[in-house]
Amino acid sequence: MAADLPGHGTVPSSPSHPDPRLERLLAHPALWRAGSAARVPVWPSGFALLDEGLPGGGWPRSGLIEILPARFGQGELQLMLPALAAITSRSEARWCVWVAPPLQPFAPALAAAGMALTRLLIVRAPPHARRAAALWAFEQALDSGACDGVLAWVKDAPARQIRRLQLAAQRGNALGVLFRPRESAREASPAMLRVALEPRRGGVRVTLLKSRGGARGALDLSWEDRERT
Amino acid sequence: MSAPRTIDLFAPADAPARSAPQTPVRPVAPREAPRPSASPPGVPLWLGVHVPALAAQSAVGASRILQSLAMRAQRFTPRVSLAPPDGLLLEVRSSLHLFGGVEGLRHAMTGECAQLSQAATLAFAPTPLAALAGARAGRPFEVLDAAQLTGSLAPLSVAALRWPEELIGRLAGLGVRTIGQALRLPRAGFAQRFGAARLADLDRLTGRADDPRERFEAPVRFRRRRELPCESASHALLTAALRPLLDELGRFLAARQCGVLALEYRLWHRHAAPTCCVLRLGTPLADAAQLAQLLDERLRTLALPEPARACELRAGLPVPRVLQSSGLWQPGEQGGLAAASGVELIERLRARLGPEALETLTLVSDHRPESAWRVAQPEVCLASAAGTSHRPSPGAERPAHASGVGADRFAPRPLWLLPRPQLLRQRGGLPCWRGAVCLEGEPERIETGWWDGRDIARDYYNARDMHGRRLWLFREREPPHRWFLQGVYG
Repeated sequence: MAADLPGHGTVPSSPSHPDPRLERLLAHPALWRAGSAARVPVWPSGFALLDEGLPGGGWPRSGLIEILPARFGQGELQLMLPALAAITSRSEARWCVWVAPPLQPFAPALAAAGMALTRLLIVRAPPHARRAAALWAFEQALDSGACDGVLAWVKDAPARQIRRLQLAAQRGNALGVLFRPRESAREASPAMLRVALEPRRGGVRVTLLKSRGGARGALDLSWEDRERT
Repeated sequence: MSAPRTIDLFAPADAPARSAPQTPVRPVAPREAPRPSASPPGVPLWLGVHVPALAAQSAVGASRILQSLAMRAQRFTPRVSLAPPDGLLLEVRSSLHLFGGVEGLRHAMTGECAQLSQAATLAFAPTPLAALAGARAGRPFEVLDAAQLTGSLAPLSVAALRWPEELIGRLAGLGVRTIGQALRLPRAGFAQRFGAARLADLDRLTGRADDPRERFEAPVRFRRRRELPCESASHALLTAALRPLLDELGRFLAARQCGVLALEYRLWHRHAAPTCCVLRLGTPLADAAQLAQLLDERLRTLALPEPARACELRAGLPVPRVLQSSGLWQPGEQGGLAAASGVELIERLRARLGPEALETLTLVSDHRPESAWRVAQPEVCLASAAGTSHRPSPGAERPAHASGVGADRFAPRPLWLLPRPQLLRQRGGLPCWRGAVCLEGEPERIETGWWDGRDIARDYYNARDMHGRRLWLFREREPPHRWFLQGVYG
């Protein structure tokens, strides 16, 4: 699977232009037509169903996304894992930083899922200033240009801070993933993509709350459908 | 003189052909006539530096200034010698081309003196003593050719030799006031009258005798103290006071092509014990700006008991630094180096959050969940990541890891582990965790560990709590049969 190449959104073939030459012209990557998904370089999520719903066909390569499970541990990491495995196992992979994970990541399970542990860097925030330190480390990692993906577990982050994180992610060309509780969905957020999660038996129900140019609505994913990378 | 020939990388194209084999080159334009070479390349050329203001200083103060001047001078040549109390000698023959000839070197060295706010006079001569005497004379003195040395020295006063006053008085009584007149005296009579040591001085001056000089060795560790202009606890002032010290450290390390792994910034107070701010680095660093940024992060979180009145910078032992050439592609791009710029991020995070805040994970070949992984420091991985590729071999679907026990052979494992297993309450023989949990599937038995004293005997179950989370529980096989929560699938 060509995990190295940035995927692009598929332009819906419109029946009004039967001429294949015109079709080819319209498929040029520099061309964007209103109504089609925004063309952003993406990492395939590893779930075909989800890729169809996400703008551009996967998780954005640079930018901040929010994942909002009702409670910690309802499948949010499992959802990101195929993409993380693909990101870290490239030969030119940069760091994958996890900021302030609430529990100890279990290395054998991550390795079994295909993640390269040599690219994984865990940042522990000191307990007395956990939130501030985690947000600072998150922004530094996103901004540094040394990371492909930065995952952070922060309970409450003000919208202004999220805007800074979004800009830092774009500068550093990194995918930032912010895990927040479901209640935060009520607040507005400048993140590129907001995804709510609910656990289901053998899978997860993903609701796209905000996606620039992508589909809205709920998708039922099953862990069994995960594509093997 | 059987001086070894040096290979001169910086020779201009029209320099007289010193490089041995004459390759057949078709002349394109008529060449300039070769300039007469002042001296063969092996003959030393000494740059004498005389700092008149040092004579008025205390011995300790003068020697400190002279030492820092010598350390700056080491940027021009490794052969620097002190001539206390107010002189410095540099052997610069092989550095001439690099620093733009005599004029360029004179300009650069004057600049170094000016940065220490010292005015100095400089002189070039083939012998160290002549260079010093020329510098002390205060007039422009540039002798590049040993043949012209005696003639150029002749008009200088004998006082430039720093002989005792009484001796200079006696010489004046004989009508000898210049070095030229002294050199014209008969050697045997001169030695008899004024001592063989004085004759040896003259021989060293003119190059008749060798004049070995002890090479200046800078202290091994860097350590500088500086008084603050006023007592202060302000972050801005402390950072500003630190900057010149770091610049000096940067030069110190650059001269050695080394970096430091540990740095201590100590702040002295009027009453309280000094405050220490220690910076530990994963990779040797030598760049002053980078170090300043890291120390700045550290200083931000520092609590001072009272205003500081002096600061001191102490560096750990210099460590040889291997510089890597930068690639054409940016890190992370197709073909770019992996994590080449990650070092900076790691150091910054460490500086702010503490050295133990960062970790990476490695696998250990063990069947017990607690022992199947280990926390490692990131620089270990950096070293191994420098050249190796992380791409799994094409045939293998998953990265090869910990030999023997492949994770594949186990049932699925949770992504999260609790720091330590959490004891669960029981209701009717079944475990509870924030409400009832529902056990799923077949149990998996994990046991033994007698070889390291952490013996376990557990039956692991998957369970689902009332919020739909998948949990990893175990039940002890030994009697009280307690239930524990150990992992969350996530």
